[in-house]
Amino acid sequence: MITLSCPWCGPRNVTEFAYGGESGARPDPATATPQPWRRYLYTNANPAGPVTETWLHRAGCRRYLVVERDTTTNEILAIRRPGGAPSTSARHATTGRATEQRP
Amino acid sequence: MTAATTPGAATRLDPQPGEVIDRTDRFAFTWNGVEHHAYRGDTITSALAAAGVRVFSRSFKYSRPRGILTASYLDPGCTVQVDDEPNVRGSHRRIAPGQAVTAQNVWPSLDRDVKMANQAVGRFLTAGFYYKTFIKPQRLWPTYQRVLQRFAAGGTAPDTAPDRLRYDKRYAHPDVLVAGGGPAGMKAAVAAAKHGAKVLLVEEEHELGGHLRYGDTGDLDRLALLRAEVAASDVEVLTDAVVAGRYDGNLFAVVERSAPGLTERLTKVRAGVAIVAAGLIERPYVVEGNDLPGVLLSTAVRRLINLHAVKPGNRAVVLTANPQGDAAIADLQRAGVQVWAEDARAGGDIVRILGRGGVVGVEVGDGRKVPCDLVVTATGWTATTSLLNMAGDRPVYEPRIARFLPSQLPDDVLVTGGLAGDDDLDELLDHARAAGELAAERATEPGSVRGAALPVRPIVDACLPALPLHDHPAMFRGPTHGFVDFSEDVGSKDLAAAVAEGYDSSELAKRYTTATMGPSQGKLETVNAVAAVAEATGITIGQAGTTTWRPPYAPITLGALAGRNFEPVRVSPMQPWHEVHGAAPLVAGAWIRPDHYGDPAAEVRAVRDEVGIIDVTPIGKLDLQGPDVPNLLELLYVNKWQKLDVGRVRYGVMCAEDGVVLDDGVTGRLGPDHYLMSTTSSGAAGIWEWIENWLQTERPGWDVHVTPVTTAYASMNLAGPRSRDVLAPLTDVDLSADAFGYMHVRTGTIAAVEDCVLWRIGFTGELSYELHVPAGYGLHVWETLLAAGADHGIRAFGVEAQRTLRLEKGHLIVGQDTDGLTKAGSAGLGGLVKLDKPNFVGKPELVWQQEVGVTSTLVALQPVDPTEVPPEASQIVVAGRTVGRITSSRRSPTLGRGVCLGQVPPDLAAPGTHVTVRLPDGRDIVAVVQQHLAHVDPEGARLRG
Amino acid sequence: MAGAGRGHGNGATNGRSPRYSAWDLARRGLTGEAWPPAWRKHELRPSYDVVIIGGGVHGLATAHYLAANHGITDVAVLDKGYIGGGGSGRNTAILRSNYLTPEGIAFYDRSLELYRGLAADLNFNVMFSQRGHMTLAHNDASLRTMRWRAEVNKLVGVDSEVIDPDEVAKLVPRMDVSSEARYPILGALWHPPGGIIRHDAVVWGYARGADSRGVQIHQNTEVLGIDVVAGRVTGVQTSRGAVSAPIVVNCTAGWSSLISDMAGVEMPVHTFPLQAAVTEPVQPFLDPVVVSGTLHVYVSQTDRGELVFGASVDPFASYSTRGSLEFIEGLAGHVLQLMPSLHNLRLLRQWAGLCDMTPDYSPIMGPTPVEGFYVDVGWGTYGFKAGPVSGEQMAACIATGATPELIAPFALSRFAAGELVGEKGAAAVGH
Repeated sequence: MITLSCPWCGPRNVTEFAYGGESGARPDPATATPQPWRRYLYTNANPAGPVTETWLHRAGCRRYLVVERDTTTNEILAIRRPGGAPSTSARHATTGRATEQRP
Repeated sequence: MTAATTPGAATRLDPQPGEVIDRTDRFAFTWNGVEHHAYRGDTITSALAAAGVRVFSRSFKYSRPRGILTASYLDPGCTVQVDDEPNVRGSHRRIAPGQAVTAQNVWPSLDRDVKMANQAVGRFLTAGFYYKTFIKPQRLWPTYQRVLQRFAAGGTAPDTAPDRLRYDKRYAHPDVLVAGGGPAGMKAAVAAAKHGAKVLLVEEEHELGGHLRYGDTGDLDRLALLRAEVAASDVEVLTDAVVAGRYDGNLFAVVERSAPGLTERLTKVRAGVAIVAAGLIERPYVVEGNDLPGVLLSTAVRRLINLHAVKPGNRAVVLTANPQGDAAIADLQRAGVQVWAEDARAGGDIVRILGRGGVVGVEVGDGRKVPCDLVVTATGWTATTSLLNMAGDRPVYEPRIARFLPSQLPDDVLVTGGLAGDDDLDELLDHARAAGELAAERATEPGSVRGAALPVRPIVDACLPALPLHDHPAMFRGPTHGFVDFSEDVGSKDLAAAVAEGYDSSELAKRYTTATMGPSQGKLETVNAVAAVAEATGITIGQAGTTTWRPPYAPITLGALAGRNFEPVRVSPMQPWHEVHGAAPLVAGAWIRPDHYGDPAAEVRAVRDEVGIIDVTPIGKLDLQGPDVPNLLELLYVNKWQKLDVGRVRYGVMCAEDGVVLDDGVTGRLGPDHYLMSTTSSGAAGIWEWIENWLQTERPGWDVHVTPVTTAYASMNLAGPRSRDVLAPLTDVDLSADAFGYMHVRTGTIAAVEDCVLWRIGFTGELSYELHVPAGYGLHVWETLLAAGADHGIRAFGVEAQRTLRLEKGHLIVGQDTDGLTKAGSAGLGGLVKLDKPNFVGKPELVWQQEVGVTSTLVALQPVDPTEVPPEASQIVVAGRTVGRITSSRRSPTLGRGVCLGQVPPDLAAPGTHVTVRLPDGRDIVAVVQQHLAHVDPEGARLRG
Repeated sequence: MAGAGRGHGNGATNGRSPRYSAWDLARRGLTGEAWPPAWRKHELRPSYDVVIIGGGVHGLATAHYLAANHGITDVAVLDKGYIGGGGSGRNTAILRSNYLTPEGIAFYDRSLELYRGLAADLNFNVMFSQRGHMTLAHNDASLRTMRWRAEVNKLVGVDSEVIDPDEVAKLVPRMDVSSEARYPILGALWHPPGGIIRHDAVVWGYARGADSRGVQIHQNTEVLGIDVVAGRVTGVQTSRGAVSAPIVVNCTAGWSSLISDMAGVEMPVHTFPLQAAVTEPVQPFLDPVVVSGTLHVYVSQTDRGELVFGASVDPFASYSTRGSLEFIEGLAGHVLQLMPSLHNLRLLRQWAGLCDMTPDYSPIMGPTPVEGFYVDVGWGTYGFKAGPVSGEQMAACIATGATPELIAPFALSRFAAGELVGEKGAAAVGH
């Protein structure tokens, strides 16, 4: 079980979090036509590698988080608050390597 | 002669220096109904072997007799039933007084097994034979199948649940987890602890020590010193426990098999760094007759002699290729066994092992036949790379030592001991010490965080010195074919045949023959299977590669995995009253609520005629505060909210972005910036998250505070023409129709309880008040209302009556009258959906739905025959094809007839249309589409009264 | 060779696999004569009429029916590993046809019909065991959904009915049907035609059938790119070189969106791991397949005596198939809620496969905007059940150039049109 480092609560088991799926850009609903709107609704990039997605710290602070994750290894590359700059990084290690991607 | 018991073939030896049996504690148990005796410390098979028992099971396919092979947990032929517990590892489990041990899967008995006939026809039962036969006639296949099922291996599952807690779980967060309590593991654990780490050391056997336990007196002296070091340290030690799996984030499953009072306990270990010191497993030699009772591994005879003081035979042939085999020879000789040694390093070999029910001799390399009752092989080792593999390792075959070595690991997993290489004990212990210190350093480094998924790196970068390797001859198969997988009855010949048939990779051959798929999980068999495939395909073992080791490394009981059931149940504060008053429970997700109190029809009539009260606490309730609440409501509901005055309540429906109906409920404005929203009971959790998602990620600038208050309030609905009369004397709120009209909200005191919220709404279609009172006073208010209503004929009603009432009134239930594809335009909402609003969630799809026209719509229906009540989900058919369905139906006590809601296509939606409903019993009935969704009081006069 | 061609006269000609029979099994048992390969190895040719990506049950069945039903034999099936190594070898081998929509039921019922005749058809015993399929209802909403399915099934002629807890207990004596259970059993959907099958055997049977008709199976041949010129497919790039082909079919699972991306075709697919586990064998006690949607678990017992468990897909998308501890913990807890007496059975092995989930729990089948590039993907957790019918219909689609009626509802274009398949109506019923 991986852990996610919540920017508010610190590292917690992934079972505390709810997965919200890939973050995709929503077309303007006022002007959207069916084709791009349904592409937004139904299509995922679904990459084998890094992806940006939304998670909710459901059993913790109840904040929505932006998570960058490698879908092949489940390595967490970065976690940040929605709209903000990266506030923490999970590229921590037990080896004492300097943690990267700190703000 | 039957070979199941050969009196005198093995006997108890005089006390041995390292024996683990307590000769002062002797007790009885039964084996297949016959009484035997054991010493405390005996395993099931050691006790029986001491009594001369040689055969412990019949094999899966050919029903061949099987005895002790490894004298360890892995022993494939020694799986037995102990009381009601199936599949007990007889060579590991210590026997307890009075236990009833029986052989598994033998009919009629271990001695005479009718399936033994299979041995005679074995030549036809080649790998995958069943794929090639029983094909025609197809009608006979089920019969063949019943015969095949007779061969199902394994014991008998109990048919009753345990009567007490027999399993548990716990968590552990050591800095360093050491898997394997042999000398290297002990040393690494002590070193890590000395370096300041919190250490958990896990050993699968019953004591620490690994191979030193069954070694010579020199080994025992070293073991005593190591044990003293562990005892003097702060290391937590678990024996008879196994690290069963490594998962992402360095999470380990540790199974404790002798936790006090329990059958099994699962310890979930989040380790900073894990040191894998799981050691080596002795590999069986593949040669004709290698499964006969009396063929043992060298480690097995050493265990039997030195740990359990059991003499395994009288005349032995030993094939040795390494010092462990040489030591076994010395042990055997000391135990008085005559030994014929074949030294593989000097060209010795075994051609075939002779015997039927047990070993009677061996044809050795030079063709001579040597009579014996015991064959011992010491032909090499299998590295227990499972945990490393689960951590991302891809073990690489090293021909020099004829075994696999780890190649790449993440930084939070280290490897030492026999897995890492060979050397004398002192050098091995130096390596283990270094591993322990490095692990402690990494795990206790400031800023290190557990649970990351770390990338793997080549093991040469692991900052540990490489251990030297001692050459070992590559011995997998002898000059003849033998068994590779003992539990699956798969031989090297089967694997060769599979390869010839095109199943020419390790994975395909494994699947085709089922080799390695049995209860020993391939630990004993995989490398021999890979070697057989490699040989048959003409490639090297290195090219053939190993298979993927999947968790668990060792089997885990379902009981331990499940642990205690912590699934919570939610009940309202009024539950004690419901229980006393005979409520039939309804399980609704996490909630248990009253379905009815014995007579739902009477409950309905009470509400229509007098007054009723229902506990609606599970309704989702969200307290919304802030100046932007109207914007939020406008965004999430399909209808308009900007002009909701203080004191007013409005019904709303929410859609998802695809236009599908998500939830409904009423929201009331309590103050200028203060609202109370209700949701469906099942939607309570989801809608809270839905709102927070929009606020946090899409509209972060909006000033709205959301507080879930579902269980902060006890909620009850007082409904019926006399509800006002019941409530008025108990509240300071003016209930007169002018002061508190339909779809209004008030706050006030009820039954002397302050801060209650009163909604005048009508899901039931009657004059009614939904009361939300502080939860701690819920029962008080409930009982006070019932007492006050006694003179008015008040009656508590449950969910069933409420559903009937709302159906009579034509109010939809989201998820019942709509489904996962029902857009708002099909939900019978009429003009509620305001497509002229500038924006709301789901609007684009709803606009397009209106443009192309709906394909289905919700209508009210009544069967022509008033006595018919088509069960919910009855299909509406045209020419035998389904075009719609009954979504809700009940017999209406008010109208004395069946009433329904249903989804129908637009061409059947016009009032007065006759539709055909196919009942589950196959009859067709006719129902008529109604003018209004409401069957009762469509004008709403009763509500507004 | 004496007798090799006896019986059906298509013996070991051209290295093809001879007909399997008890007689030949006995003869070879006596003479020790080896069986020739069930399928052959080939050099990769520079061009084929049809290239199928993915050597699982879907790809191999498509190849088999292209050759058997339409005489199209210049076909290559490419797999990056060994045949049946993906979803075909990782599923829990449950078959049923009691879906919700008439379209879904008709489609899966055709699959079940093909499965019933498959052993004879392929001359390969796939060990289909029609032991019945039971979906438990633990609340009135799911009981209503079971009724809905049963009623539509009956209209389409598929045997499904709602049974009460007493009948459940009769069919599965170890089931806890007491009202004290945390999620009491209120009833079940009982579907006698459902059952389990030996999944690997289906793969091998189709591989052997396709091979014997001239199809080439290429294992360890990874597709690295798909060539598209002016809106039509011209071939594929593989780890063993380039292959030209006017028709390329994506029959992969777990990797279907990545393969389609190579042709520039976007897929509404999201890939999730699906885990499963198996216990040690015990004597047979469980006949039907048992499914509980509320408890997210399904259970069956194999002829070998093992209990096979599955569940719903993992809680988050991933291409990792390593499996998790929390999965088997939850699984065991749910199994013991259903059958508390199984507490001392031991879980032996867990594994995971990849499922390409679509927004409406239905596959994506047929042509794509790239001419000559076909897809048979998005199989979620139900791909194995549909193997035969998918192969049959995809073969017809490719051979005739027209989309057969049975698969028309599953066209890629439905998403842009907003016409999702109604299986979503009863979402998350599963298996």
